Amino acid sequence: MVNQKWKKYWQVLTSNNIGLFGLILLVIFLLIALLAPILAPFDPSARVGDPFMKPNSQFLLGTNDVGQDILSELLYGTRISLLIGVIAAFISILLGCLVGIISGYYGGKTDAFLMRLVDLVLVIPFLPLMILLAAFIGPSFWNIVLVISLISWASPARVIRSQVLTLKTKGYVEAAKSIGTNITVILGRHILPGVIPIALSQFVLAASHSILIEASLSFLGLGDPFTKSWGTILYYAQARGAFLTDAWIWWVLPPGLLITTLVIGFAFTGYSLEEILNPRLRKER
Amino acid sequence: MGKFIAGKLLQYLIVIFLMLTLNFLLPRLMPGNPLVFLAGEDVGFMSSAEKEAILDKYGLNDSILEQYGAYIKNIFTGDFGYSYQQKRPISELLMERLPWTMLLTGLGLVLSTVIGVMFGAISAWRRGTRTDANLLTVFMFLSAMPSFWVGMILVSIFSAQLGWLPVFGAESAWSNYTGMDRLIDIGKHLILPLATLILISVTSTFMIMRYSMLNVLGEDYIMMAKAKGVKEKVIKYKHAMRNALLPVATVFMLSLGFTLGGATVIETVFAYPGVGRLMFESVLSRDYPLIQATFLIITFSVVIANFLADLIYPLLDPKVGSRNG
Repeated sequence: MVNQKWKKYWQVLTSNNIGLFGLILLVIFLLIALLAPILAPFDPSARVGDPFMKPNSQFLLGTNDVGQDILSELLYGTRISLLIGVIAAFISILLGCLVGIISGYYGGKTDAFLMRLVDLVLVIPFLPLMILLAAFIGPSFWNIVLVISLISWASPARVIRSQVLTLKTKGYVEAAKSIGTNITVILGRHILPGVIPIALSQFVLAASHSILIEASLSFLGLGDPFTKSWGTILYYAQARGAFLTDAWIWWVLPPGLLITTLVIGFAFTGYSLEEILNPRLRKER
Repeated sequence: MGKFIAGKLLQYLIVIFLMLTLNFLLPRLMPGNPLVFLAGEDVGFMSSAEKEAILDKYGLNDSILEQYGAYIKNIFTGDFGYSYQQKRPISELLMERLPWTMLLTGLGLVLSTVIGVMFGAISAWRRGTRTDANLLTVFMFLSAMPSFWVGMILVSIFSAQLGWLPVFGAESAWSNYTGMDRLIDIGKHLILPLATLILISVTSTFMIMRYSMLNVLGEDYIMMAKAKGVKEKVIKYKHAMRNALLPVATVFMLSLGFTLGGATVIETVFAYPGVGRLMFESVLSRDYPLIQATFLIITFSVVIANFLADLIYPLLDPKVGSRNG
C-alpha cells in the first residue's frame, strides 16, 4: 500500500518535466561528488603548476593564486557544497518536524508558544545573524552546518504543523485515539507517514537555500579554510582580484554556474514534489 | 485591531530583547579571554594598565547583572562602544555608513518591487502561455544565483572588460566633485550594486504578484466585468492589478530583512561603504564589538520595518483589522 503510494509519487515526479530535469541534475552532481578522485586530474590541495596560469591542455581551467588546479578544486568542491547543504537541511527539517508535530498534535498552549517562537525566528535577519554567530564560534565545517540549521528550521516547522493539523482530524487517527492507542504508536504509525512526504519536499527546498547560504558565508571568509567549497573558491578569486582580469572567465564564472545549477536542481525537484503532494496547488496552476 | 498591534509590538520587543541578550552573552560565554572579543586580538600587546582600563570600562569586574544593566543603558543612549581596530567610537562609524546602505537598499526595494509587480502581472495575465513559462524560468534562475557572484560577473563585464562603470566605492576618491557632477558620480557607482540587488530580490515579489493576480483573476467580479464587456485594459489595470497588489505591500516591508542581508554581501563585492561592508570589514579584522553593533543596527531596522508593515496592512485591507478584533 505504502509502496504503491511512493510508486505513484515517483511516476508523477518523472512525468513532470521540471521535476525530472531537477532530479537528473541532482544525480549528475551526486556522481561528480562520488567520483571526484577519479574525475579530477590533480590533487586539489597540491601546488601542481605556476600561480595564475591560463587554461591550457594540462590545466583546463587554469590555476589559482598558489598554483592549484581550478578544475580539480571545483570537482572536489562539489562534495563540500553538497554535503553542507544536505546535512544542514536534514538537521533543520528534523528540528522542523519535531516542533511541527508537537505543535500540531498537542495544540493549545504548547502550540501557541511554539508558533510564537517560529514567528520570532522568522523576523530575525538570518544572514547577519549567521555572520555574527560564525564570527564568534569560528569557521569550521560543522559550525557552518550548525549555524545554518539552527536558523532555517522555522518555516518548515510551520508547514509540517499545518499538515499534522489535517492528519489529526482523519478518521483513523481519531479511531486509534478512541481505543486508547499509545501516543508513540499514533505519532509513529499514523502521523509520521503522512508527514514524511511533505518533510521530503521541504528538505529539498531547504537544501537549495542552505547551499546558497553556505556560499555566501564562505565568500565572506567564514567558511572552513581546510575544506574548500565553491564559495571558498570565489572568496579567493575575489581576494586576489581575479574578477578584474581575464581570469574571471575560468576562475569566477564556473563556481557560480555550478552553485546556480545545483540550487536549480534542488529547487525544481522541490517545487514539483510540492505540486505532487499539494493537490490544491496543482489545480491552481 | 488595537489588540493585534499590541501583540505584534510585544513580539518585536521580545525579538529585540533576545538579540540584545545574545549580543551581551556571546563575548562572555565563548571560551578564552573575553578581552579578545571586546578589544580585539591586540590585547596580547597591551600593558596590564591598559587591560585594566578596558576591564573597568566594560565593568567586567562587576557582577553579571550590573554589566547587563550598563550594557542595555549604553545601547539605548546610542553608545555602541569603541572600535579598537578603527580607533573610533562605533556610533560614529555607523552614522557614516548608514546613509549609503539606506540609499542602496531603499532604491533596490522600490525598483525590484515595481519590476516584480509588472512581470508578475504579465505572467498571471498570460498564464499557461509561452511568455508565462519563460518568465517563470528566468525568475527561478535569478533566485538560484548567489548574490555576490552576480555582482562579480557584472563588475567583470561592465567595469573590467568594457570599462563603462567604476569598479568599487560609492564615489570617486579625491575627486572633489560638487553639485551635479557629484550626483552623477554617485549615480554611476550605484548602478552595478543596485542592479545586483534588484536581480537577486525581484523573484519574491514576482512570485507573490503572480500568485495573487491569479487568485484575483478567478474572482466573480472579473468574470462579471468581462461579461459586461469592460475593456481588457481596464479589467487588467483597474480591477485585477489593484486588488492583487495587497499581498505585495506586506512583502515589500518584510523583504527588507532579506534585502539588507543581501546588501551585506553585495556591498562587500563592490567595496560599497555601507553598514554591510562595515560588518564584513569587522569580521575580517575580528573586531567583535563592531560585528555586534552592525548586527544590532540591521536587526533594529528589520524589526521597525516589520512593525510598520503591520501598522499599514490593516489600513490597506479592512478585513485584517476587523478579523483581529
